[in-house]
Amino acid sequence: MPARRWLRSLALPSLLQAWPWLLVALALLGVRLSKGAGLSDAYAQLSRPFWPGTAQAEWLRSARRFEDTARIAALEADNARLRGLIGLQQASPKRLTAPVIAREPAGWWQTLLLGRGSLQGVAEGQAVLAPGGLIGLVGAVTPGTARVTLLTDPASRVGVWVGRTRHHGLLTGLGTPRPVVRFLEKDPGVVPGDVVTTSPASTLVPPDLPVGVIQTVDAVADPAPEAVVQLAAPVGSVDWVQLLAR
Amino acid sequence: MVLLSRHPWFAASILVVPLLTLAAPAWPRLSGVGPCWAILWLLPWALADGRRSGVLAGATLGLLLDSLHRGGVSEMPAMMLLGWWWGRIGRLGAPVERSFSLGLLALLGTVVLDLSLMLQWALRSGLGAGSSLPGGAIDPAPLAQPGWHLHDLAGSGLKVLLARTLLTALLAPVLCSLQLLLWRQQGGGLGRR
Repeated sequence: MPARRWLRSLALPSLLQAWPWLLVALALLGVRLSKGAGLSDAYAQLSRPFWPGTAQAEWLRSARRFEDTARIAALEADNARLRGLIGLQQASPKRLTAPVIAREPAGWWQTLLLGRGSLQGVAEGQAVLAPGGLIGLVGAVTPGTARVTLLTDPASRVGVWVGRTRHHGLLTGLGTPRPVVRFLEKDPGVVPGDVVTTSPASTLVPPDLPVGVIQTVDAVADPAPEAVVQLAAPVGSVDWVQLLAR
Repeated sequence: MVLLSRHPWFAASILVVPLLTLAAPAWPRLSGVGPCWAILWLLPWALADGRRSGVLAGATLGLLLDSLHRGGVSEMPAMMLLGWWWGRIGRLGAPVERSFSLGLLALLGTVVLDLSLMLQWALRSGLGAGSSLPGGAIDPAPLAQPGWHLHDLAGSGLKVLLARTLLTALLAPVLCSLQLLLWRQQGGGLGRR
């Protein structure tokens, strides 16, 4: 009995004096059990003004662009070597830059007039590229100008290829901003989102040029299934184009 | 034909039509389609200078515009017909001056011109477009034939016709009345033949 009384008289005052330290110990235990959540979040809030900003993001994007460009150059060189081995047309022919000096993107004829002609080496049938991909073919040439028949013009017919399903089709202008691909198989198996390019085995246009993305598919169209294509290149706002020699 | 014989250099203003067609200014557009500049020039000229001058101007305009476009169709027959018709109207009755009359004539002229183009494309595409081979196979030949096909003409072709007609008819009262005034001041519309 005397021992118990002695203990009681010793513990109560000590506890009364030490309760702040007990709270600290409990808080530390909480931090430990939560794997430092509070600590990390507090640090994140405190250090937010010093986080990596747009400059760092731009450096990373620049590095990524450099890497992509280098990879594309290496792949193009490799592709050209392999195409040469199997006797197919070269995918990276010589390019000529030309300004757009007149445009008629809607109406009965959908054309561009370019400020380069036969004197600069432009020839009928050359593929015309804008940022994004193919926009048309050279339809007529004068010594100083070239008239481009846009892919949206009803007179335009270009053989294309859906890489995912490996099906060929005929890209046909309708006089609207979006041309259609008419497939030669009854069941092409394409879905919206499939990428359309020129055929890898094409001899009329350079192979593997991006054209656009399939937007909608009409599998029961008569006589051939067809798909509406959103062109990758902004035809209405392009000011400079590139011509690919055949 | 007084205007053409007395002031032949005024006919050089016809060159404005292909230049405007090439420049394709962005402001007068309806659904992306511009007006028919050829109609807006030919209407006042033919009204002021008679049938023969109208036919000649129509043929010249047709040749100039056909040289700018590919596709095997021609604007020349319709332009010559319109030049003759408007020249006849300008000589027979009271002088055409009211804005409504000019707008209506421009509207009819654009419809005639565009219908002539559609008719030529329809004849070229033929009724065989879109046919299938025996056995359910798809015939690629009609699909590969370039130019407007019948179903395209009935769809987006009709929209082009409507937009061009409406815009030309709206611009005609302003542009054609000014030109008509100018040509009449220079001696057009004096003869009655």
